[in-house]
Amino acid sequence: MSSVQIQTVAPEMRLQGGAALGPVDLAYETYGRLNERKDNAILICHALSGDAHVAAHPEVPGQRPGWWEAAVGPGKAFDTDRYFVVCSNVLGSCYGSTGPASIDPRTGRPYGLSFPIVTVADMVEAQRRLLDALGIEKLLAVAGGSLGGMQALQWSVAYPERVRSAIVLAATASSSAQSIALNELARQAIYADANWDRGSYYGRIPPHAGLALARMVGHVTYLSEASMKAKFGRRLRHREDYGFGFAPEFQIETYLQHQGHRFTERFDANALLYVTKAIDYFDLAYGRANLAEAFRDVAAHFLVVSFSSDWLYPPAQSKELVRALLQNDVDATYVEVRSDYGHDAFLLEIERLAGLTRDFLAQTAEKRFQARRRRQSAFAQGAGI
Amino acid sequence: MMSRRPDWDVIVELIPAGTRVLDLGCGNGELLARLLVRKSVFARGVEHDEANVRACVARGLSVRQGDIEEGLADFADGSWDYAILSQTLGCLQRPLPVLAEMLRVARFGIVSFSNAGHWRARWRAATGRGAGTELASGLPLARSITLAQFRAATARQGIEIKEWLHWSGTRRIQAWPAWRARTTIGLLRRR
Repeated sequence: MSSVQIQTVAPEMRLQGGAALGPVDLAYETYGRLNERKDNAILICHALSGDAHVAAHPEVPGQRPGWWEAAVGPGKAFDTDRYFVVCSNVLGSCYGSTGPASIDPRTGRPYGLSFPIVTVADMVEAQRRLLDALGIEKLLAVAGGSLGGMQALQWSVAYPERVRSAIVLAATASSSAQSIALNELARQAIYADANWDRGSYYGRIPPHAGLALARMVGHVTYLSEASMKAKFGRRLRHREDYGFGFAPEFQIETYLQHQGHRFTERFDANALLYVTKAIDYFDLAYGRANLAEAFRDVAAHFLVVSFSSDWLYPPAQSKELVRALLQNDVDATYVEVRSDYGHDAFLLEIERLAGLTRDFLAQTAEKRFQARRRRQSAFAQGAGI
Repeated sequence: MMSRRPDWDVIVELIPAGTRVLDLGCGNGELLARLLVRKSVFARGVEHDEANVRACVARGLSVRQGDIEEGLADFADGSWDYAILSQTLGCLQRPLPVLAEMLRVARFGIVSFSNAGHWRARWRAATGRGAGTELASGLPLARSITLAQFRAATARQGIEIKEWLHWSGTRRIQAWPAWRARTTIGLLRRR
């Protein structure tokens, strides 16, 4: 399939928060071909503001590049000559999947704030229904960075029998206080914009200033001190010397404003509220004694990658996740990639990720799927020494 | 089969087939790969160097990147049959807690190191050229460990050296190992 498609995955879905939502549509794109044994499917999950267009379709000339163009395609890390890649827009977003900007069938008007809170578990549940509709029983891999990595984790826990491997990049098993704080800053920026009007701005002027500021806050968290220093330093834009005023003059200032402005042209402010809230609620230990308990029945094997300069989901959080996996004897590889790109590294360090991903997927394809792991040692089985 | 690291062949011989083996400081995974081929073990590694971890993944191995101390803490008590520390003991910040930890997570420990009491090393020290790595060698800081030190340290930790094999190159050393062994390999367990 060469472009975005819409699938109604449920006439009505009961959400984790208790509310019912329906109908639920997911926008998705697919790449490559599902083989006859249906064992080459990979689900790629996007981050906060991504969409289903993970890469351009090579058979369609002139298509815009996707958000992970360098990683997905023929001969690339996610080799679409070998694998059938599916990417869907998350529930609650604004790129074709049901979200706060969608029309509420009960009122004939956009949901706005009457849209129920959705969680990562709800996003994954909707994806599960999409895969059912596509006839995919088992995933060779589910992969993603940031919020995408959270979805991959959720998949492995919620549907252990359907996931052979999980690639979790720059993510965490539990949103930290710092990450909730940063998301709250972004939301407060939107609330503070008078045009937001408690989310009922559809058909009027949207809260562009609030959304732009929210994006600027977010964008800073995706960079690192080192990457900002290298890219901008103290350099000025359009000036030789200081202007001694408040007009933006440092390159980092104009860059952030540009990013914020551009974001308002492509994203819905309410969708940002809902998706950041889903991130905040994400905690695999929720309702369990500890994180390790969450992975008790996990059968997938894992590639967990963190990036040394990522301060949004720092390596320590990936290590915590890896510890919980290893305590359950889950087959997990952990790599901490040295990078100055901060959280954004999962989108930028493609060269170094590609080799890892390719080798890991090849390994997964070889390993026979085991519903249960080898917990028993040879000694326990009586092999003796 | 001659190998670059003679201690590996010995370690491969020491480990029974089908066991669970954790290699601490597994490098590029060469030893684990041999164990997989020759003993069909269930293999995992801990390795701090990113490039080495990549090399392991390329071999199809699962490895946890990180320091040995930090990596060991991830594993449950008695979750391994063997934990290996090959040519790594001398480079650890706190070697004794690591010995204790490896015997917490594994029933047996296998430790190999270069014998700093070999007569050449003693001669070098006696002639004023010092013990251990040389100032200008560019090698990382490493302890010089003698057989006597190892015996004393393990005894103090309540660790039994169940088997102790000494080698000079590919030649097994039986007499005067404290002077003649270049490489030594101990099979350890808790007393």
